[in-house]
Amino acid sequence: MLDFFTIFSKGGIVLWCFQGAGVTESFTGPVNALIRSVILQERGGNNSFTHEALSMKYKLDNEFELIFVVGFQKILTLTYVDKFIDDVQLHFRDRYKNELEQKGALKHVNNSFDFEDRFKKLLREAEESSKARSPPPMRSFEKSEKSQKTVKSMIETKGGDKAKEQGGKKNKHTKKEAPAVEPAKGDQGKTPPSGQKAVVNGNQGLTPEEIIQKNREDFFRKRMMGPAEKPIKSPKPQKPKEKQNRVWNNGGSSAKNLDYSNKNGEASPGDGERNLDGRFDPDMQVSSMKGDLLSVDYESSEEGEMEEEEEEEVVVSETSKTSPKKSGGFGGMFGMLKGLVGSKSLSREDMEPVLEKMKDHLIAKNVAADISSQLCESVAKKLEGKVMGTFTTVASTVKQALQDSLVQILQPKRRVDILRDVMEAQSQRRPFVVTFCGVNGVGKSTNLAKISYWLIENGFSVLIAACDTFRAGAVEQLRTHQRRLNSLHPPEKHGGRPVIQLYEKGYGKDAAGIAMEAIAYARNQAFDVVLVDTAGRMQDNAPLMTALAKLIAVNMPDLVLFVGEALVGNEAVDQLVKFNQALADHSMSDKPRLIDGIVLTKFDTIDDKVGAAISMTYITGQPIVFVGTGQTYNDLRSLNARAVVGALMKA
Amino acid sequence: MGKRTDAEMPENPLEPYIESIRQQLEEQDPVLLVGVIVALAVVVITCVFLKYFLTSKTVRSAVLLVGLCDAGKTLLFIRLLSGKFKRTQTSITDSSAPYKAKNDRGSTWTLIDLPGHDSLRSQYLEKFKSAARAIVFVVDSAIFQKEVRDVAEFLYMLLTDTVVCRNAPTLLVACNKQDITMAKSAKLIQQQLEKELNTLRVTRSAVLSAQDGSVGGSVYLGKKGKDFEFSQLPMKVEFLECSARGSKGDDGVADVESLEKSLAKL
Ligand SMILES: Nc1nc2c(ncn2[C@@H]2O[C@H](COP(=O)(O)OP(=O)(O)O)[C@@H](O)[C@H]2O)c(=O)[nH]1
Ligand SMILES: Nc1nc2c(ncn2[C@@H]2O[C@H](COP(=O)(O)OP(=O)(O)O)[C@@H](O)[C@H]2O)c(=O)[nH]1
Ligand SMILES: [Mg+2]
Ligand SMILES: [Mg+2]
Repeated sequence: MLDFFTIFSKGGIVLWCFQGAGVTESFTGPVNALIRSVILQERGGNNSFTHEALSMKYKLDNEFELIFVVGFQKILTLTYVDKFIDDVQLHFRDRYKNELEQKGALKHVNNSFDFEDRFKKLLREAEESSKARSPPPMRSFEKSEKSQKTVKSMIETKGGDKAKEQGGKKNKHTKKEAPAVEPAKGDQGKTPPSGQKAVVNGNQGLTPEEIIQKNREDFFRKRMMGPAEKPIKSPKPQKPKEKQNRVWNNGGSSAKNLDYSNKNGEASPGDGERNLDGRFDPDMQVSSMKGDLLSVDYESSEEGEMEEEEEEEVVVSETSKTSPKKSGGFGGMFGMLKGLVGSKSLSREDMEPVLEKMKDHLIAKNVAADISSQLCESVAKKLEGKVMGTFTTVASTVKQALQDSLVQILQPKRRVDILRDVMEAQSQRRPFVVTFCGVNGVGKSTNLAKISYWLIENGFSVLIAACDTFRAGAVEQLRTHQRRLNSLHPPEKHGGRPVIQLYEKGYGKDAAGIAMEAIAYARNQAFDVVLVDTAGRMQDNAPLMTALAKLIAVNMPDLVLFVGEALVGNEAVDQLVKFNQALADHSMSDKPRLIDGIVLTKFDTIDDKVGAAISMTYITGQPIVFVGTGQTYNDLRSLNARAVVGALMKA
Repeated sequence: MGKRTDAEMPENPLEPYIESIRQQLEEQDPVLLVGVIVALAVVVITCVFLKYFLTSKTVRSAVLLVGLCDAGKTLLFIRLLSGKFKRTQTSITDSSAPYKAKNDRGSTWTLIDLPGHDSLRSQYLEKFKSAARAIVFVVDSAIFQKEVRDVAEFLYMLLTDTVVCRNAPTLLVACNKQDITMAKSAKLIQQQLEKELNTLRVTRSAVLSAQDGSVGGSVYLGKKGKDFEFSQLPMKVEFLECSARGSKGDDGVADVESLEKSLAKL
């Protein structure tokens, strides 16, 4: 049933692996895809991933720095997998404890981890128990006893331990899982598209937990492979949306916002509705997952972790709502000392208050709410079980991990050197084409002019294609920029040839056509770069989004830059997801052209609320190529990840 | 609460102390005062020297394995340490282990395999660069042509780093995967990298300054006014060919003697 199971160190050395009978393809590629697109992008809140025909689930062991990955055909619904990974992890740790405790990477290289028989046995047990279709309390109880003896720290994180936690857990299930189960039921009622039917039917007879799991997978698939899926219709009012709006109002206090909300009104809600839904499902699941985890921690902390929590509060000088304190100052002091001196492994409960604080902090810095929680979730997953060094507090550990993750997110995932790419295009005797897109008034035209200036300064000739044929004055704005730039760099100094020209066909024409003519013109006239200005459009305006997608699909620019304001809060998510979705939906090829870079404008107006930088890179996985920091031609910068993260983490 | 006490602190409690110290000093005779100052100065200077001495004396004993993802760093790491073949996945942290060089001196270095993924590489390089005695830059020779610009950019970042330039660790460019028939030779890789780095010198110096005004790579690569060559670098550079997989497939022995030899010479 399983295609593979692999256990490897975070350093990348495979310790042991299992390959299912009759499986010929190597799992190296799919697992690398999982690492690169989930773990390295801090999307770790979700532990499953689909790659082509494979479904994969993974688990991090932060104490021994291991990763466990299981893969199976995605058409299968294997209900036992989650618990199975946990079991394998426990047994593996148990069996190789001594080896794994050695220092350095030599242990991974020299020891042979002969786990075959134990694994086979576990697998047989798991498969049998699932065949019997009986929920597995008996077995798991037995196993949890085993595990108690061996690895204490694991018990809290163990998912399937129903027997042990039965008391408290039951009502939690019903309470917290309700919202997540709901959408799944809605799907069933609403006649799902035929492709999904089988899966939906499969849902019957699953426990709520499993349904959630499946939903998460669906969510993930939608996010990752959005283009393939048709949005599902469900007219329910969406919860996350409300939340988003509220925070957005809080975030923006600048005058520019006014501008913005006006335009919000322009978009016709009816148009957007359909496109919206496909993507709101996932958001909903994320937040419901969040709720679940939160409450578990809250309740368990009341049960016995009070001391620990208190110690945290002392160390971090926690200000958030504190439940009545049970133990006095003495216990707190003792806990604090214990926390400082003893090396202990981090548990979810330890981190929860700090994470909560960090999340609020990020939101206060204008990171979209959704993304803040996903990030914190991912950090938690990365730290859970990790052994802290002496004299480090939970707060400092979490903070450091978050900081590393933020730097990691902002670090471009590919080479960003536009000048080099322009030179490459030059050598191929074709113009390098850049398309700018974004909502209204974010600074597309202004920053296009700044980028022209930078390119001209570096010796390239630029053709601006005025494809904003919509907004009154848009062409004249570009004309003005072109004149000014030409007077700054007069043709006499450049061999009698204007360094910048405007290609325009007035208003009301088809933008894609103008862009195409402009590119052809540039090729004939040997321009090095074509910058295509497009009309601003709200992400919900379907006809305009289709037009943009067409422009990009037809002209195949070398670079599609999304221009976004640094002022934007939760709205960033919506904008980017929808722009990408539109491009994907209307692309004619199977490898759609999406946004491949971001221009972050008005960075001078936001002080240290730099969260938009994180939101935008997190969603697209694309680098911030330019940062606009004012209204003169010189106010163009590149992003400094460390500086931005510094500003983010600043209290 | 914390803020208020902070603000009051410098006003009240310190003032009487300073006052009394000044009074005492005025009472003392000036010779003693000079003595005290000299003594203090000596202590400070000793500390500074000691620190300088210690830091400059510390032997840089790390050998870093760097390069793009999938170049074969982790497999080389395993091969150098044990000679065995193991499967690998994309690394997300560093791995380190003591490595005994194959020479008479029996010198032991710390071999460190750094993750090559774009979003991790600069963070990890930052962490280990100051300890580097040698840097093994691993290149996938089989798909070099496709990756040449990415390889060059990484190398450019490495070679224009101030710390790397100051310490000038030996640079070994390991042209890996020579078992694959399409693999480019070390000589060709060197030529192409020189050409590409020459171009990068132009484009990278024209790159926009970062928001905080800093410009990446403050060191000029090679000699001004001349086409770039590796011989212009402050460190010793060596190109070598190897294959971590070996010609006989997974179970065969690797072909990494050239690398082992170079590491023995460090
Ligand atoms: N402070 C500041 N203002 C900017 C920046 N970029 C653009 N703007 C302003 O934003 C407004 C809208 O710009 P425009 O280019 O017309 O937006 P478009 O509709 O996206 O083309 C103009 O008033 C610009 O001066 C920036 O980086 N900083
Ligand atoms: N054919 C061949 N494959 C190799 C060689 N070295 C490494 N590989 C393979 O290349 C892939 C990536 O290797 P890995 O060491 O993980 O690369 P890293 O990302 O640089 O650490 C693995 O599948 C290796 O088996 C080699 O010399 N020849
Ligand atoms: Mg405009
Ligand atoms: Mg590796």
